[in-house]
Amino acid sequence: MRVADPWPTMAAPKVAMLTHNVLRNRAVELSEDERSILESAVACTRSYPAGQIVVRQDVPVDVSTLLVEGFMTRHIDAKDGRRHLVAVHVPGDFVDLHAYALKRLDHDVGALTNITVAVIPHAALQEIQLHHQHLTHRLWFLTMLDAASHRHWVVRLASLNAVQRVAHFLCEMHARLLAIGRCNAGRFELAMTQSDIGEVCGLSNVHVNRVLRQLREEGLCGVRSGQVRIHDLQGLATVGVFTPDYLYLNRPAALRAVGTPGDDHG
Amino acid sequence: MVDERRYLEPQKDAGRATAENGVVILEGPDGVAVTMTAEAADLTARSLHEAAQKVRDGDSAVPSEDDGNLEDPNRP
Repeated sequence: MRVADPWPTMAAPKVAMLTHNVLRNRAVELSEDERSILESAVACTRSYPAGQIVVRQDVPVDVSTLLVEGFMTRHIDAKDGRRHLVAVHVPGDFVDLHAYALKRLDHDVGALTNITVAVIPHAALQEIQLHHQHLTHRLWFLTMLDAASHRHWVVRLASLNAVQRVAHFLCEMHARLLAIGRCNAGRFELAMTQSDIGEVCGLSNVHVNRVLRQLREEGLCGVRSGQVRIHDLQGLATVGVFTPDYLYLNRPAALRAVGTPGDDHG
Repeated sequence: MVDERRYLEPQKDAGRATAENGVVILEGPDGVAVTMTAEAADLTARSLHEAAQKVRDGDSAVPSEDDGNLEDPNRP
């Protein structure tokens, strides 16, 4: 990935809510007032091309970044040259809210696709912390969601076999995109290569390729050209030992995330 | 509530190796998922054979200065 050039900046648009997807369809959601307060904390929006590093490890930061459009990753480059994807982010995710407390990151944050982000200065977050206790609790909840995901990513790598890992990951992405309205009847965009999925699941390209073929031949899902089509969500969730509890979705979204009978999968 | 923890124990199920697109994929047991070159797979197979034979020969005892017990004696 390239190091970020000086950030192009534009005034925050006032029409569409940049924070529209924050905690959308989660067990805890923002009130309209809270969303407005968070929206007003946005200093600017910025756009980056796919492949660009947005926040680099160990560099002091005084802003936090809310993903508005596109996909981002948190990744760590190991000393042997391997890149480990430790998180994939979708619109509505605060990709480095933890930097508000940490002031530097122990990982890079990069653009997986062309992205648009909203930039919120830590000074504005501090104002929220001082004057809006309930919203502060919501933001804390967001970082706890991160921690929950990380725990389950560890378990996925430690205890699931190859096909289970990929099935679990696809179910998770389906659930998260479903929550923000980016999934239609089991179809969603996932602009990830087999290498990317391999970096998430700790598998080689060849292995991912075989697993995806197996999932397709079993009639569970198809992944092609950055598009995922889930044919049998319950079957895929069973193979992936997936339950969405760690995503803290609201009840309707949680039921749809595992293909509850009568649901349209998206 | 009873905590039904299961500790990692030696696997009784074998891993399964397959050839795929010019490499060897080893899957299982447990969460093992490794892709190897044919040469690395050969060496791994030989090493596994040798280690298994040592176990059968009773030649895998822990050195006397380390009894291999990492359990905390105060832990219930």
